[in-house]
Amino acid sequence: MTRDLRMRWLTPALALLIAVGLSACSSFAPNTIFGAHSEFGHSVDVLTRRLLYAGLVVFVLIETLLVVILVRYRERDGNREAKQFHGNSTLEIGWTLIPAVILAFIAVPTIKTIFKTQAKATPGALQVEVIGHQWWWEFRYPQYGIITANELYLPVGRTANFALTTKDVLHSFWVPKLNGKRDLISNHTNYIWFTPDSAYAWNGFCAEYCGTSHANMRFKVFTVPPSEFDAWVAHQKTNAIGSALPAPAIAKADTGKAAQPPAPAAVAPTPVMNVSDTMSATFPRANLPEWVIPKTPTPAHLAFDQSVTGNVTRGATLFKTAPCIACHSVRGVPTAAGIIGPNLTHVGSRTTIAGGLYPNDLRHLQLWIKNAPEMKPGSLMPLFGKNEKGATPGVYTDQQIADLAAYLSSLK
Amino acid sequence: MATTVSLPATPHREPSHRYESGVWSWLATTDHKRIGQLYLYTSLFWFLVGGIEAGIIRTQLYGPNQHLVSAQTYNELFTMHGTTMIFLVVMPLSAAFFNFLIPLQIGARDVAFPRLNAFSYWIFLFGGLFINFSWFLHAAPNGGWFGYAPLTTRPFSPGLNIDFWVLGLQILGISSLAAGFNFITTIINMRAPGMHFMRMPIFSWMAFITQFMIVLAFPIFTVALTFLMLDRFFGTNFYEIQAGADPLLWQHLFWLFGHPEVYILILPAFGLVSEVLPVFSRKPLFGYPVMVYSGILIAFLGFGVWAHHMFAVGMGPIADSFFSITTMLIAIPTGVKIFNWLGTMWGGSLRFTTAMKFAIALVALFTIGGISGVMHSSPPSDLQQTDSYFIVAHFHYVLFGGSLMGLFAGLYFYYPKITGRLMNEKLGSWHFWLTAIGMNLTFFPMHFLGLDGMPRRISSYDAGQGWENNNHLASYGAALIIIGTVFFVYNWFASMRKGAVAGNDPWGGATLEWAIPSPPPDYNFATIPQVTSRYPLWDRKSPQITSEVPHGTRDEQKMEVKIAGQSTGTAPAPADTRLNAPNAHPSAKQLGINMPTPTIRPLLAAFFLGCVFVGLIAHRNLTIMFIAAGLFVLSLYSWLLTPLEPEHH
Repeated sequence: MTRDLRMRWLTPALALLIAVGLSACSSFAPNTIFGAHSEFGHSVDVLTRRLLYAGLVVFVLIETLLVVILVRYRERDGNREAKQFHGNSTLEIGWTLIPAVILAFIAVPTIKTIFKTQAKATPGALQVEVIGHQWWWEFRYPQYGIITANELYLPVGRTANFALTTKDVLHSFWVPKLNGKRDLISNHTNYIWFTPDSAYAWNGFCAEYCGTSHANMRFKVFTVPPSEFDAWVAHQKTNAIGSALPAPAIAKADTGKAAQPPAPAAVAPTPVMNVSDTMSATFPRANLPEWVIPKTPTPAHLAFDQSVTGNVTRGATLFKTAPCIACHSVRGVPTAAGIIGPNLTHVGSRTTIAGGLYPNDLRHLQLWIKNAPEMKPGSLMPLFGKNEKGATPGVYTDQQIADLAAYLSSLK
Repeated sequence: MATTVSLPATPHREPSHRYESGVWSWLATTDHKRIGQLYLYTSLFWFLVGGIEAGIIRTQLYGPNQHLVSAQTYNELFTMHGTTMIFLVVMPLSAAFFNFLIPLQIGARDVAFPRLNAFSYWIFLFGGLFINFSWFLHAAPNGGWFGYAPLTTRPFSPGLNIDFWVLGLQILGISSLAAGFNFITTIINMRAPGMHFMRMPIFSWMAFITQFMIVLAFPIFTVALTFLMLDRFFGTNFYEIQAGADPLLWQHLFWLFGHPEVYILILPAFGLVSEVLPVFSRKPLFGYPVMVYSGILIAFLGFGVWAHHMFAVGMGPIADSFFSITTMLIAIPTGVKIFNWLGTMWGGSLRFTTAMKFAIALVALFTIGGISGVMHSSPPSDLQQTDSYFIVAHFHYVLFGGSLMGLFAGLYFYYPKITGRLMNEKLGSWHFWLTAIGMNLTFFPMHFLGLDGMPRRISSYDAGQGWENNNHLASYGAALIIIGTVFFVYNWFASMRKGAVAGNDPWGGATLEWAIPSPPPDYNFATIPQVTSRYPLWDRKSPQITSEVPHGTRDEQKMEVKIAGQSTGTAPAPADTRLNAPNAHPSAKQLGINMPTPTIRPLLAAFFLGCVFVGLIAHRNLTIMFIAAGLFVLSLYSWLLTPLEPEHH
């Protein structure tokens, strides 16, 4: 009798597991691979669902058979002896052939999809160069001469062809809602292409372990209507408003009328857009979905003097000779031509900093400049805050850092 | 049910020798059963260490943006969790069974090279300690168990971390290779008369196949690691990207080893389950020949699927298609095994001992891992799954739901043979249910995490990504597994003192190891048995079970197993507790059996060989290296010049 009772345990136990499994399948899944928003995603979606359903059928069959066997052939009080047989050729041939047939049903669409998704991209495709760095993303649009970081803008309905390379170790380019992964391999260029089919904002991740801050190498993708994409391109091709300073009034009043063409003759004078154009050229912050805004808490012991306010002009002056320029470029500032770190030409227009780890606002920028290694483990950017503890000594007071942050924020 | 033998009224004791008891008897042992136990306890220790690492990982990932440990430490933890569980737990736990069981199952007195066997263990122990010593220097390996170049090259990992990993795995590789050759030789040459290959117990078969895989796969890994070692220590450019190296060289070499390694980890567990299921179903294994052939086929195909780990590296459509098809093909022999296990139970009289429960769990859970495996055999679909938590879920269903469940089944099944006592079934049941429920609670939600876009190997994740609930569940599950393990550890040690005396054959086993006392005398069989079918013991005790199984036509006489000069009868006799008293059986010397003498030399050789690696990691200290190498050669000579057997024979 006890044995019977114990057997009655098994079914509820399995039912419980299935219930847990289903409840775990929470409805809120902003990064799910299902229902992808590109034609690449659709092909994969169809295939994955076929695999999933075939797998579920096999799963249910085998586990049901197992439970039936466990219940039906358990040792009873009567100590019934087993029926003796040790093989059955027909059965064994059967359960070799049937899986083979099921696999054929999977293999054929698999091969078709491989060749479809790995064909050459259409000739008119938007070319994007993706360059991996420990631990941030560099995006270049060679057709437009744009270099940006950690945020991609893609026009809806136009194929984007990505050429993937890395400056250091391996990384992998992944936007679950748009495309499958493609690795960034040293000394090698990889390609992947897809065509976004709707306008929205998406999360992207590095999916190949790349060292200390692998978890903090994220990016955002904004798929926008073609007209907005064109506006964004036009804006990115200009020099940032802030870089053309001296007028501190601009950043404060946001009028834009005082903007001057960039001083150095080396840079071709380009028209500076007015602020309303600037705003429409970037994805409107108010429309950002909650889950593309980073919520990473800042390190508890990293403090910043809240009483200081940054001055854009002082920040601009300081920036020209600051150590920042060894690694960062700002188009329009001739001294700032570093290529190790992200290009900061339009850093103020981005929604995140530090490889998608923090939202791009004054407070996070200030803390970031003050002590980047504390904000992001392994960060190759050294700390700059005076009296901060770290591998290298910092030089700047909170006031100077606030000025720098104000300047960088003004680079819309 | 238990058979016994009549014993001499007063057990005669040999004059004591320093190698016969105490620590020395373990340090100098060449007895395969003792070496098996050394492997067993060492790997169970590392299992606890690897489990603690997993516990910290699950605590960190319980909620978003948590920092119980730093990103750096987290990376060390997941690297060491993987490395430990693969190389220091599942492989050596399988090796414990190879050592303990193969000679007993094939009717031999020891392995072919008993001292090489001891050397394999000591070098394994040394490798495990070496790689874990890094924790004390705050330089634990942090490149992942897969160690992808160029992250593991000197420019990107300047510290000692990867040095420990490269050299530690080199040391462990020596152990696996030496053991592999040893077992292959043992199985080919030392089977009892009448034990044709198709009469060999299925565990020994799977072990045999596994050894070939080790011997063929580990040299590839050794080459890959040697390249990396040369790069890191001697300035070569195999993986140095600044010198134009192609880092995919590492990936191909690694996975050409790494995929067969998966089958090296799972086939021994398959073998154990194939021993447990028939005994507790009171039926012969369904389709024995097909089980053997499917094992061989899995091993063979296992060498042709490696690049399915690399669908995202951009190999091109032809290579992707090829490796996709081979990967799908390997599902067929694996599926056949599942169906044959179901066939074994079908019509049986199932007894749900703890060992049986774990064996059934393997069938139920490995199926899930197998199905998700087929899902990522399709490259376009795999591009969405690879390097996400879906993969973490998949391979834990294979390695935990498969390998570990099978190994636990084996531990409960063979515990009485190893210790002479039975494990407590009630505690065993607690262990089983906590582990089985905890395991599913931990790893099933990870399928959803992966499909919801959570990448692998991340030390923390942001809030509001829809990942919180499933991570909570996974962490609760890990806690259940840890509680279950506490039951297991307690049960293990408590049963050793308080467990019921097992007798020769507590389960009604079918194969030779159940014919001899528990624990077996050092010489195993007083007379080498004569074998006439796959299930010699059932032939004697329950002939109705084996009536359908093929038997030899020429050598029809039934098996004879002699212990202490007495034939083991079929008549049940009251269990004799003296069986468990030490030296209750007459010694090998009394029976005139030549057994290998204990010797400390394999331990010395292993120690000095290990010291060569210590010299390398201690800033390439050539003095240490040359002295250690010299002592290694000396101890080898000393080993070779010491006769294997006592001289007075």
